[in-house]
Amino acid sequence: MGVSGALARLALRHAHLLVIEVPGYWLTRVAVERLAGVRGWRLAVSPADADILAVCGSPGPELALVVARLWEQLPGPRARIDVAAPDLVAAALDQAEAMLRDTPRQRRDSTARDGQGLDDAPGGDIALAHGSEDRDGLEMDVLQVRLGPVLPDWPAGLVLRAHLHGDLIVEAQAGVVDAGQGGPAGGGHVVGGDTSGDIRQVDAGEVAARRCDNAARLLALAGWPDAAGGARAIRDRLLTGDRSAAITELARLRRRVRRSWLLRWSLRRVGPLPPDELARLGLAPDLTGDVWDRLNGMLDRAVFVTGGPAGVAAGGPAGAGVGGPTGFDVGGSVTPPAAVASVVSGWDVATARLIVASLDIAALDVVTDG
Amino acid sequence: MVTHLVFWGLAVVAVLAGVAVFVVNSMARASYSLALSFIAVGLQLLLLQQLYVGVLVILMMVMEMAIMAVYMNMFMGMNPAMMSMNMVHGARHALPVSVGVFLLLAAGALFAPWPSRRGSPPADVTAALGMELMGPKMLAMAGVGVVMAATIVSGVVLAAHRTRYDRFGDDLRRPRPADPQPGGVGR
Amino acid sequence: MADLPAVVSGGWAPVAAGLLGALAVAAALLDGALAGRAAGVRSGMGQPAGEVARLLRQRRRTTVAADRLLWRIGGAGLLGMALMIVTVVPLGRWTLFDLGVGVVWVNALDVLAWAFVWLTGWGANSAYALVGGYRFLAHGLAYELPLMFALVAPAVAASSLRVGEVAAAQQGLWFVVWMPVAFVVYCLGVVAIAVWGPFSPALGRDVAGGVTAELSGVDRLLFLAGRYALLAAGAAFAVPMFLGGGAGPLLPAWAWVLVKAAVLLAGLVWLRRRVPALRPDVFMEVGWLVLLPAVLLQDLLVAVVVIGG
Repeated sequence: MGVSGALARLALRHAHLLVIEVPGYWLTRVAVERLAGVRGWRLAVSPADADILAVCGSPGPELALVVARLWEQLPGPRARIDVAAPDLVAAALDQAEAMLRDTPRQRRDSTARDGQGLDDAPGGDIALAHGSEDRDGLEMDVLQVRLGPVLPDWPAGLVLRAHLHGDLIVEAQAGVVDAGQGGPAGGGHVVGGDTSGDIRQVDAGEVAARRCDNAARLLALAGWPDAAGGARAIRDRLLTGDRSAAITELARLRRRVRRSWLLRWSLRRVGPLPPDELARLGLAPDLTGDVWDRLNGMLDRAVFVTGGPAGVAAGGPAGAGVGGPTGFDVGGSVTPPAAVASVVSGWDVATARLIVASLDIAALDVVTDG
Repeated sequence: MVTHLVFWGLAVVAVLAGVAVFVVNSMARASYSLALSFIAVGLQLLLLQQLYVGVLVILMMVMEMAIMAVYMNMFMGMNPAMMSMNMVHGARHALPVSVGVFLLLAAGALFAPWPSRRGSPPADVTAALGMELMGPKMLAMAGVGVVMAATIVSGVVLAAHRTRYDRFGDDLRRPRPADPQPGGVGR
Repeated sequence: MADLPAVVSGGWAPVAAGLLGALAVAAALLDGALAGRAAGVRSGMGQPAGEVARLLRQRRRTTVAADRLLWRIGGAGLLGMALMIVTVVPLGRWTLFDLGVGVVWVNALDVLAWAFVWLTGWGANSAYALVGGYRFLAHGLAYELPLMFALVAPAVAASSLRVGEVAAAQQGLWFVVWMPVAFVVYCLGVVAIAVWGPFSPALGRDVAGGVTAELSGVDRLLFLAGRYALLAAGAAFAVPMFLGGGAGPLLPAWAWVLVKAAVLLAGLVWLRRRVPALRPDVFMEVGWLVLLPAVLLQDLLVAVVVIGG
């Protein structure tokens, strides 16, 4: 018991969690990330990498199915927690830790899983991929891959059915998981259980935090974990009320990002969107330019919002309905999924992920394009 | 004695891995069986004190097989779940022919009256081998290398679907090429 | 010319492996500390130990219709590669394997990364892992030729492919001083074969961890350890190639080798915190249009100096 007990104690201090955000439970997800970070835990990038599956909010039937499948893919020792609101996070993480610590329980779980699942391979039934011409005129196999709804740094609830040539997205259809369940997906906290369903005025700190969160995702996808971590720390400060420190750090982060010529070199000319294209797709007009412009735009909006009066309701470069009359919207307009599908077509997966992250998505329209 | 055992062991590995190329059922396995076969041959060359050639065989063949596996998988649309590929075609004729050729060559190697060693190997075998192979023709060989590289590049350029007119416009005046995705040096 | 290193018996191989392991652990500790400082948590230094404990406690897993043989070979291969590289790195006055073509030997081994990383991505039968594997090869196409020509420069300057002779040829002036381009390109190559920092899109978050997407337990541990070991082995090999081998005041030669390797290794680890990823789609042109010509010019310069001097 000595060795394995010590191993378990050490392992528990460094658990990895796979966080699944049900659309509408943004604040809960952010709280999970923050409190897990305080414990020294890390965010997993795939189920194979995870010890804990943290479901933020109550998933609809479609997402519940996905969660169940992912749960089967956790190697174990494993723990699943369902968190419905930000103030329940600390208790849920304690619970997860207790579950992982309970070695006999994990042994039972492991024994129960032996010999089931996984090896029920579909045998010889896997169909041959059909081919089509790629952008260089070569005949290529087409692989159908569903991006989302659970991917690191991916908008909550978004599902992109992509047709891949190699890793090039030839075309894609977008949808939102559990679209039939009503309510705008991925929206603010008001749809889910974060508040008791009241439509309340979104405060400026939260709007800015949302921008920082989206910027953190983009920076993480661009392969710059430190800057992403910095953006996340600012987000957490904004939400926990440490405004002044957050504003200083935000200004520093903005300078740091602007000065990185390597980042600029990497993101320039990726996913350019002219104003008329944005209007046609129903995207906010402040997304003009390429991914680099949009990253800076996000940080600028965050700076503007924190600098402005509390509860900004109108105007400024943020424009586009900051805390607008619809109430559910946290500083960005509702993004139509079809627009997301349209802007990623013709790009490879890496750049497509950057483009999606650069759209500063706060909420997805549930009307799918089929 | 140990050297002899290792040498023969590697020979067996090389032959078996070569056979495996035609037995395994996926392109990835076939490619890397071939790579293993070549690695065994490369190690044998090391035992023969042909250090440079031996290491070079390993280097070239691993790289080549890595690329070949990629292309073969790409063009054959394979994934590990589809391991039903067969490298043998027309087995009824091919098998006797290839076994026959192998036996013939092996018999040649075994029964040929090899000359006995005269003199002793030079201090720097690599340099000696290079002089023996290339000697005064070194400049020509270096030239051939450049020509081959140029041929490969031109072959790719000619085969490419998009020409410079597609990229830079009909009068080639466009400052930046119209590429589907931007490259890394600002072009 | 200084003394060439003496070959020691194979019984010392575990010591070499231990030193490589120590360097790799030091790299992991430093990386953990830097990551912890950036994230504002205290447990940074403990992170590698915690990660090892976590992965040892975790179950191995497999996927539907995986090519398990090739998958496992790929995952464990990186560590083997790193061990084979350090066999030709002289530790001051001693070396394990005094190969006449040591430089080419290392080159042959670094090419094995193409096989191992791709196989790890392929074997899992997972779209994300395979995309990661292809990304590595795309990087490989861009970094490998510059890396090869970067290794040519010190060999030409020393007129030898023997690592010990290359180190001995730097008495007085280290190669890094007058062939900086080759040194920088070599370091980029090392970072690339370790799938580290700017060259980690093959393990990217955008594809759920890419090559490592489906690895768990001891398989993931081997792969991650292999990356640190490769980074350490690459830094160690730079010492005889560019950094004057064991030359230095006061300390014995073996200590200088370790100090130089550790300093370079720390630099490579630190690089990860400072720079974003170099995606293969944009790095490809840089590799062929900037690095390759630059390093060829470097080789030309070195050759002219050697012939003229």
